[in-house]
Amino acid sequence: MNKATLKRMTRRTEFWIFLVLVIMCIGIQAASGGGLFKSSTVVTILRSMVVDGMFAMCCLVVMVSGGFDLSFPAVAALAYSLATTICVNMGWCATNPIAGLLLATLIGFVLGMLNGWIIANFKLNTMIVTLGTQTFFTGVSMGLLQMQEITSTLPLGFRAMGESYLFEVYNEAGIRSTMSTMFLFFVALAAVTSFVLNHTMFGRALYAIGGNEVSAERAGYNVKRVKFILYSVVGAVSGFIGMIRVCMERQSIPKAMVGREMTIIPAVILGGASIFGGEGTVFGTICAVGIITVVSNSMLLMGIDTYWQSFFNGLVILIGITVSAVQAMRQKR
Amino acid sequence: MSEYLLQMTGICKSFAGVHALDHVNFAIRPGKVMCLAGENGCGKSTLVKIISGVYTRDEGEVVFEGNPISKITPAEATRLGIQVIYQDLSIFPNLTVMENLAINSEITEGKKFVNRKRWEATAKEALSKIGYEIDLQAKMGELSVADKQLVAICRALLFNAKLIIMDEPTTALTKREVDALFKTVRQLKDSGIAIMFISHKTEEIFEISDDVCIMRNGKNVYAGPTAELTRQDFTFHMTGRELTDDHFVPKNISKEPVLKVEHLCQKNKYQDVSFELRKGEILGVTGLLGSGRTELALSLFGLGKPDSGTITLNGQEVKITSPIQAQKLRIGYVPEDRLTEGLCLQQPIADNITLSSLKRLSKAMGFLRHQDILDDANIWKEKFSIATDDVRRFASTLSGGNQQKIVLSKWLSNDLDVLILNGPTVGVDVGAKQDIHHLIHELANEGLAVIIISDDLSEVVVNCSRVIVMRDGSIVGELTGSDIPEEDIIEIIR
Amino acid sequence: MLTKVKEFSQKNLYTSMLLALLVLLLLFFSITKGGTLWSLGTWNGIFMQFPEYGVMTIGVMFCFISGNIDMSFVALGNFACILGVQYMAANVTEGMGNGQIIGVMLVAVLIVMVIGAIGGVINGLLISLLNIPPVMATIAMQLVWTGVSVAITEGKAVSGLPSLYTDIGHKMVFGFLPFPFLIFLIIFVISAFLLKYTTYGEKLYMIGTNIKAAKFSAINTTGMTVATFVLCDVICCIGSLLMVSTMASTKADYGTSYVMRCILILVLAGVLPDGGMGKISNVFLAIISIQIIASGVNMFPSMNTYYASLIWGGLLIIVLILSTKLTGNGFFVKKRKKSS
Repeated sequence: MNKATLKRMTRRTEFWIFLVLVIMCIGIQAASGGGLFKSSTVVTILRSMVVDGMFAMCCLVVMVSGGFDLSFPAVAALAYSLATTICVNMGWCATNPIAGLLLATLIGFVLGMLNGWIIANFKLNTMIVTLGTQTFFTGVSMGLLQMQEITSTLPLGFRAMGESYLFEVYNEAGIRSTMSTMFLFFVALAAVTSFVLNHTMFGRALYAIGGNEVSAERAGYNVKRVKFILYSVVGAVSGFIGMIRVCMERQSIPKAMVGREMTIIPAVILGGASIFGGEGTVFGTICAVGIITVVSNSMLLMGIDTYWQSFFNGLVILIGITVSAVQAMRQKR
Repeated sequence: MSEYLLQMTGICKSFAGVHALDHVNFAIRPGKVMCLAGENGCGKSTLVKIISGVYTRDEGEVVFEGNPISKITPAEATRLGIQVIYQDLSIFPNLTVMENLAINSEITEGKKFVNRKRWEATAKEALSKIGYEIDLQAKMGELSVADKQLVAICRALLFNAKLIIMDEPTTALTKREVDALFKTVRQLKDSGIAIMFISHKTEEIFEISDDVCIMRNGKNVYAGPTAELTRQDFTFHMTGRELTDDHFVPKNISKEPVLKVEHLCQKNKYQDVSFELRKGEILGVTGLLGSGRTELALSLFGLGKPDSGTITLNGQEVKITSPIQAQKLRIGYVPEDRLTEGLCLQQPIADNITLSSLKRLSKAMGFLRHQDILDDANIWKEKFSIATDDVRRFASTLSGGNQQKIVLSKWLSNDLDVLILNGPTVGVDVGAKQDIHHLIHELANEGLAVIIISDDLSEVVVNCSRVIVMRDGSIVGELTGSDIPEEDIIEIIR
Repeated sequence: MLTKVKEFSQKNLYTSMLLALLVLLLLFFSITKGGTLWSLGTWNGIFMQFPEYGVMTIGVMFCFISGNIDMSFVALGNFACILGVQYMAANVTEGMGNGQIIGVMLVAVLIVMVIGAIGGVINGLLISLLNIPPVMATIAMQLVWTGVSVAITEGKAVSGLPSLYTDIGHKMVFGFLPFPFLIFLIIFVISAFLLKYTTYGEKLYMIGTNIKAAKFSAINTTGMTVATFVLCDVICCIGSLLMVSTMASTKADYGTSYVMRCILILVLAGVLPDGGMGKISNVFLAIISIQIIASGVNMFPSMNTYYASLIWGGLLIIVLILSTKLTGNGFFVKKRKKSS
C-alpha cells in the first residue's frame, strides 16, 4: 500500500467509524469483563441490527442522491399492515409467507411511485414532500383503512419464517439465542445496495445527481427517471422490510414504525452520508448502525440502567456529527 | 469544403418579445481561436446555447463543415463535434478524476454496468490527448480550479471535438494558470481544433485569439482578425462609446494618515504588508488572483485575523475582530461577490440599503421607524439614480449595476472614515460604472479615505491617485500620480 | 402591469390559498354537519385545542424565517416540563393557600423557560459556531433530550400537579375566552410585533435570505441565530406547559407528533425552511384550518382522528404542487453546499 492510498483511506469517514466501532467493542469487552464477545451477545446484537440495518440501506441510497426521505417508516407500516390484513382475511400464508412478502413489496412500490412522481416532476424539497406523504400514508392506514393490530391471529407462515433460524447458541444460564434467517436478507440487501451503488451506472447516477444535479443532466443522465425509479424501488424495499419486521416480531402493529426515521437517518449520517448528497457508503452505514446497536445492547453488560439507552444513542450521534463538523472546519482552513 | 468550420448568418432569437440576438453573423475557421467578446448581458451566452442546441434559433442559417444544419439538438451538437465547457465546468466534485473523465462517454454508449478497467482506459486516453498528467484516483473537489479545467478539456476531447467552446475560462485562474491554459489552447489549435473563447478581458483576447467577434446588445458590432484591431477600437466596440472617464485628482489629502498598516501578516495569505492611507485619497490595491489582495481587505474588515503586525486607525492601534467592530471603527467594505456577499436578493431594496444602519433608524429597544427607513432609501435612490419606481421592490428586480449601487449605499449611509471597495464594478454596465466612479471621486474629495481593490487595471488607473501592486502575498511595487500608465503596472504585476 | 400582478400574486399567494381553503372547509362542514359545526361547544373546543401546538408553531416559525429548522423542541419541552412538574409535585403540599400554590407554579414555569432557553442556546451554538446543518444538530439534540427524559423518569409519566394548574387547560377567562387561547393570543401579538416593528424582525428576514450578506453588513449573525433559537425554544416550552395542563401529567414522548404537525402548518402557510419568507397572519390561518379539519373529522362518528392526518398530508402535497405551478418556480431544494 503506498502513501497516497493510505492518506486517502484515513480521510474517509468510513475508516474512522470502523475504528470507533472496533475500539468501542474492545472497550466494552474490557469494561464488562468479557461480556460482549460471547456468542449469545453477538447473535443478539446481529439479530437486532437486521431491520434498522435494512432501513438504513434505503435511507442511504436516497441520501446519496441528495434527498431526504421521512416517509419510509409510514410506507412500511401501511404496506405491512395492509398486506397482513389481506392475508388474514383471505386465509393466505398459512404455511408459506411469500404471498404476504410480495403483497407488501407491491404496496410499498405503489406508495414509493407516488413519492417519486411528485419529487421528480415538481423538483420540490424532498424533505417536505416526504413529510406530506408520511402524514398522508399514516392517515390512509389508520384512518381510511382502520388498520388493526394483528398479534395472535398472525398467519402461521409469517410466524414460521420469523422463528426460523440459521443456528442457535446458549449462554451460561442456558438461555437460547437464535440467529434469525432474516439476517440473510440483511446481508443480501447490503450486498445488492453495495453492488448497485458501485457497479451499475444507475448507482453512479445517484452519486452524480447528489454531487451536482445540473452537471448530471448535462452529462446525459435522465435525472427525472432516475429519481422516479429510486423512490419507487425504495418504497418497494421499505414494504418488504416492514414485512420482515412483522415476521420477526410476530405481530403487525400499524403504529409501531412512527418516528423510526428519527433514529435511522442520524445513524446513516453518522456513517458518512452527507445530507447534501453525493457521499456515503454501505460499509460506513453498517458500521454506524453497528455502533448504535452495540451501544444499545451493552447497557446491561456495563451495568447501566437500560433507561439510559436512548440518551447514549443520542450522545453518540451528537458527538459523531460534532466531530465531523469540526473536522470539516479544520480542512477549510 | 468551405473555409469555415462553422458559419452562422442572420441568427435571431427573442424571449417574450425581447430580442436577445438580432441578426448575428459569426464564423469560425478550423484550427483557429475565435474570441467572443462583449459586456454582460450582450447575448454571448444565448449564442453559445444556440450553437450547443440548448435553445433553438428563431431565424438564420447555420452551416457546419459546408452542410446546412436545420435544427441543432444537444445530442446533434455532440455528434457534430461541438463541445461546451461551461463556466462551472459541469464536474462532479464528489467523484474521482477517472470517473469524471469517463462518465459522459459511458452514458452516451448506454452502458449499464461499471467497468473500472474500461474507465481507466478512457480516462488515460483523454489525458493523453493533451499530454496532461494527474492522479486518476484523486477526488475532483480537491483539485485546483486550473486542474479541474484541464480535466474538463480532456473530457471534451474524448468526443472527437472539432469545436470547443470555453465560457469565461480564466475567471478564477491565477496568471500562471492562465499561461498554462493558453499553452493547452495553442496545442489544441495546432491539432486542428477550433476554439471559441468567451471573455471580456482585453489582455487575454489580444494574447490568444486569431479572430474576434464583439457583441453589444444582441448584435455583433465587429467581426474580423484580431490583428486588425487596436485596443482603443476594441474598447469602443465593447462599450459603444469613447470612454471619457475623468481621472481622479485628489483635492485635499490630510496630513496625518487615517489608516496605517504595518508589517501585517497572515499565514499563507499575505506577508509583511505595510501602507498608509490618508483622508481624501483613493488608494488602489491590485494584483492577480491569489496575490492576497482580497484576504488583506477581509482582514481590515474583521474577517480573517492577521497573525502579526499592527493596524493603526486615527493614531490608535486597533484590533479588528469582526465586521461589527469594523463598523464601529467606521470602516466599510463592499464585497467582491455582490450576489452571495452583498445582497439579500429576495428582500426589498430599502431593507437592503438600510441593513447596516438599523441602529440609527430605530428608537430605543430596537423599534423600527419604517418611514425613516423608506426616506433614507429614497435619498440614496435619488443620489445614485437607482433605476426603480419603488424602493419596496425586491433587489432581484434590478440590473447588476443598480444592485451594486445598493451595496454601496448600504455602506455610505453609515458615517465612514475608510471605505474598502473590492471589485466595485465587476459585472456592471458602462453607465452605472461611470456613476459609481463619479460618486467615489466626490466622496473622496469630501474627505473619505477609499481603497479600491481590483484587477481591472483601467479602473485602477482612472480612479486611484496611488496604486499598490501585490504579488504572492507581498507588496511588490507602489506607483503614484494621477496618470499611471497601465503598462507600468503590468510590468510588475506578474 | 404584468410584474405588478405577478408580484402581488407571489406575495399573497398563500394568503389567498389559505382563505379559499378556510371558506371551502367551513362550507363543507356547514353543509354536512351544519348543526354541530355552528355550536358554541365546537368552537370552544377548537379554541381550547389548537393553542398548545399553535404556540409551538409560532416558536418554530422564527427558526424557519431565519433559515433554520428545529426538530428538538417537543423533546426539549417535555424534558423541561418534567423538571417543572417534579418541582411542583415536590413543593405543593396539603393545606397550602392558593397564593402559595401560584407562587410555586410561577417558579416552575420559570424553571421550564430557563431550560428552554438553555436548549435554544445549545442549538444555536451547534449551528452557528460549529456549522452543523440545522436538521442534523436538532435531530441529535432531540435524541439527547428524549434520552435524558426517559432516563430520569424511567419512561413513566410524571404527575402530581396541583389542580390549580390542570384547570388552566380548560379555564374560561371572562366566561368566554379559553385561557390557552389567551396565552396564544398574547404570544401571537408579541411575535407579530417583533417581526414587523423591531430591528430583530428586520434582521431575522435578512439573515434568512442570505446569512453571508448579513454578516458582511455588520450583523451579528451568531448572536441572531442563538437568540432566534432561544426565542423559538422558550415559546415552544410555553406550548409544552399548556400541553401538560390538559394532559395533567408529562412524559418523555408526549406530543411527539407535534414536530411534524408544526412543520406541516408552517409549510402550508408559506413559511418555508429555506428562510427569509412568510407572514405570521398566514400562520394563524393555517393553524385554524388544521384545527377545523381535526374538529370537523371528529364530528363524523365513523371517522377516527387519523382521517385528519390523511387530509393534512394530502393538503400539504396539493399546496406544494399548486405553489410550484402558480409561481412558475416554486421553491427548489436550496443546497447549502460545504464550500469546496
